[in-house]
Amino acid sequence: MNFNWFLALITQCSSFIRDTLPKCFATLRRAPAGCVLLGMIVLPTLANSEIKPPSEQTWHGVEQFTDWEKKRVDLRTDTPRNAQIPYQPAEPFPFTAPFTAEEMGYRAFNFTHMARWSHVMADAHGTITKDGYLTQGVVVIMVDQMQSPNAQSQILSEPGAPYSRMMLYYTYPPKSDGSQQMWILRRSGLEKPAKLDYFAYTPSLRRVRRQPPPRRETPLPGLAQSFDDILGVEPWELDWRLIGADTLYETVRFPGNRKNITLAEPNGKFYDTPTDSIKPMGKRYPFYQKDGGVNCFVIVTTPDRKWLPEYKVSKIVYWLDQYYFYPLRIERYDEEGKLKMIEVRTATNENRSLPDGQGYASSISIYYDVERDLIAYSLHDAHFMREWTEDDLMHFTPDFMRRRWLKYPQKSQSMVKSPEEYYLRPSLLEGRFPNDRPVSVSPAVAARIVAQDKAGHLVFDNVAARP
Amino acid sequence: MSEVGRKRSEYLSGPGSYMTLQNPSFKTISTLFAVFYFVFSNTATGQEFASFERSMATFDPGGRYLTQPIERFVPGLGVDGTLMYWSDYLLSGDNDIGFRDRDYRSLQMQGLFEAGIYYHFSPNVELTSINHFLYDMVYDTEDADGLYAYKVDDSFRKYNTFSRVSRELYLSYRTSKLDVVLGKQQIAWGKMDGQFIDVINSMDFRESVQLESSDYEIRRLPLWMANLTYYFDDISLNLLWIPDFEANLRPTYGAPWSSPLLPPDDANARHNDALLHDRTNAAGDTVLSTKRPDWDHLGDHQIAARLDITNGPLTWGLVYYYAWERAPVRFITGRFSDTDGDHLIITPSHERLHHFGATSDYAWVAKGVPVIGTLPIVFRAEALYTKDAHFTDYNSRAIVRAGGSGDGVSEHDTLRAALAFEFAFPSNLSVIFQPSLYYTFDWDEGLGTGFGGAYGEEWNFAPVVFVSRPVQSTRDRLKLSMTFTPILSGSNRDYQGAKTKLIASYEISSFVNGSLIYTGYSGGSDSDLYGQYNKYDNIGIELKYEF
Repeated sequence: MNFNWFLALITQCSSFIRDTLPKCFATLRRAPAGCVLLGMIVLPTLANSEIKPPSEQTWHGVEQFTDWEKKRVDLRTDTPRNAQIPYQPAEPFPFTAPFTAEEMGYRAFNFTHMARWSHVMADAHGTITKDGYLTQGVVVIMVDQMQSPNAQSQILSEPGAPYSRMMLYYTYPPKSDGSQQMWILRRSGLEKPAKLDYFAYTPSLRRVRRQPPPRRETPLPGLAQSFDDILGVEPWELDWRLIGADTLYETVRFPGNRKNITLAEPNGKFYDTPTDSIKPMGKRYPFYQKDGGVNCFVIVTTPDRKWLPEYKVSKIVYWLDQYYFYPLRIERYDEEGKLKMIEVRTATNENRSLPDGQGYASSISIYYDVERDLIAYSLHDAHFMREWTEDDLMHFTPDFMRRRWLKYPQKSQSMVKSPEEYYLRPSLLEGRFPNDRPVSVSPAVAARIVAQDKAGHLVFDNVAARP
Repeated sequence: MSEVGRKRSEYLSGPGSYMTLQNPSFKTISTLFAVFYFVFSNTATGQEFASFERSMATFDPGGRYLTQPIERFVPGLGVDGTLMYWSDYLLSGDNDIGFRDRDYRSLQMQGLFEAGIYYHFSPNVELTSINHFLYDMVYDTEDADGLYAYKVDDSFRKYNTFSRVSRELYLSYRTSKLDVVLGKQQIAWGKMDGQFIDVINSMDFRESVQLESSDYEIRRLPLWMANLTYYFDDISLNLLWIPDFEANLRPTYGAPWSSPLLPPDDANARHNDALLHDRTNAAGDTVLSTKRPDWDHLGDHQIAARLDITNGPLTWGLVYYYAWERAPVRFITGRFSDTDGDHLIITPSHERLHHFGATSDYAWVAKGVPVIGTLPIVFRAEALYTKDAHFTDYNSRAIVRAGGSGDGVSEHDTLRAALAFEFAFPSNLSVIFQPSLYYTFDWDEGLGTGFGGAYGEEWNFAPVVFVSRPVQSTRDRLKLSMTFTPILSGSNRDYQGAKTKLIASYEISSFVNGSLIYTGYSGGSDSDLYGQYNKYDNIGIELKYEF
């Protein structure tokens, strides 16, 4: 049977989608409001179909696990429980293979946005709107991990006990210079839901004030990410389920938006890193596939309503690398089951003294609010591991902020210089695990994703509207 | 509405906002903005505006061409600058109000440039210099008979003296456990909105009842002092030694906010040089020069101490301040008669005060709150007890004027205290309820005002409500807030009026911010705290560029 006609039809359709559709979008953008509305009603299917699935299927369900994967995982859901803390697994952290989905969740919990060892670093961050309105800032963060340099201290602490302290000193932009925050992180418990003692110093008020802790799942003002996106959800608050495996080839992407990023060493020395050398798990990750992919387990978690009765999240999907369980991609779905947030990361092994990949820490994180089409980033720079002295520990008190003293002035020159250089929206990975991932975006968002993927950088409304 | 349209509408007004927003005005404004945003963003003009916004986002000429080149050229030197402009316009027309000839519309048209210079001699030693250059155009542009305060003090119109221009100038030495700051500086104690234990510096009260907590930073009058803090684990001890002294600056004759209750009227006050310079008063009494604390006299210096303790979710502190009264006490020191009748000789003098204060805050998360589930809450409490504050005693003064004896002043202890409950509702809706109490011990009806006491009464009670919410469809760049401050009092007056403030502030870029402010005064009688300003409703515009 001759299928040439079918291939020709596919080619024509692809051409139409690639070349003609963006022009249609551009025309519709300039058309009167009625046409825009019509376009918004008619185009969703077309627009969504523009996001091409990968040329080869990279994912498979649990039933298609490879032999190695089958040995790596324990599919049981009724594993023994900890005698003292019944809501935790009996096996002690960091567990040994085979791993249950829950145990993988505990391991992934080791890799919160902030590294779990004492250090100081500069966090360059920014947010951009769909129209290209860009804000950026730099905050120097000192972290005092009060016990062991991993999640164990948090897991085994008494509910309500502090396990980490952070001092945040904003240095850029000028209006934020001198603004400070102190976070005292506490282990949650059923009767002690507070996770944070939160203090703020505002230079214009010159006062240190205790603040109500942010609502955990609500995006912080002006940002895409929520408090829980930054500090993680404690694994005992969730139910865990393994749904398959996937291979990720890219997380944070630089197709043409930026050639270099200027990064800083702990001593403040700056150096340029070509963006095409930035890999999801850093340069030294030993388990890259020959084609550069990172094999991941994919896990779905849902809030345990006993712990999180009013939590406005229906589920979270994690892509965890299969060796260290580092979360390279996280998706959060809202109460109605719609995709709300995508977080993708690159990581670097910053603390090589820790075993079993526990020294990996987030380098670049992209938070994409799909609903608001808001893209935020956080880049950790000038990472300087510290063993705090007795004197240094004096810094970790709320009153210290009144001094406006930045003892470790870590710097960052990693910020983008123009909206066009900004980080792209992450791939939607449509079609993967369709039963668990109802990925849908508005037609306008879909059009902007198509435009950015074609251009290799963010495309803003007025640019897209021009033929 | 189609599904797509509904989603779009939800997107623009912010997720969940229709569910959680209780305040109809917020919802209305948010919805109006969403509609405007939808229409505007889908037009060619809207796209040009978006392009303009992209260019504004990185527009920072002060940083690019001034501060950053200087900092690169001189290692260890930090420079920053702020340009501010504030203007307030009355909504009611020209008319005489009380003793005031209010033939002006502008309450202020102030431009302020702040230049900050910081030099690090070493990681531990830094020199800081913050300078203010202010000009209030209102005195030169209004051509009003009611605006002449610069005759009393030129700082109402512009800063042209070292003490005003050089706002802060200090050398700091810091180690992990010890902080030593020597020089001219301002200190803000306390955690509460408003002034409770925040009493170290005097204040420029030119804006009278419209002065807000957010203005204190630029309205405090800095003092030369030595400021030492020692840090123990969860405890810090702060000691201040203050040889310097500044009196409060009040909205005097000819100032836009001069009280309508202050006699005589402007027609008589404007050209009365003796009155303007406090050599006489409206009754024709003689006022001698004010006795002020003397820098050279060690016994005249002020000292203060503050202890702060953090204990888990609870923080608390104690303060003591051996201070001077900021307003001179007007003692009667003699009598004389002339053709107009009997008059007094008054000697103003700043007197000593002992302040004892406490502050505390506590945080918790309430579970199982109907509709919203969990609710983070912070509780704050603050109080200042002042020993022997001086009040003008008008009964005593009348006795002296009639030939009796006395100095026309009586001493009373005062208490001012506040509780605050701050709630973090969904959608970043923040609500603060702050009941505040001002109380004068052993009060009687003849008393005037004194430090820390109630206004014209035994007690004032102000249950302040503050509501604030960013508009998510603007990526939180637009923030709406409302403050409602009613004043209740006893035992004679019941209600002294209320102040309502509505603010819409917009982040034009990371460097530029703009605000539109409405302030209204309602209720109370013409002699009440807010009642006297019932015709002073105004609209303000504020712009700020920081680089």
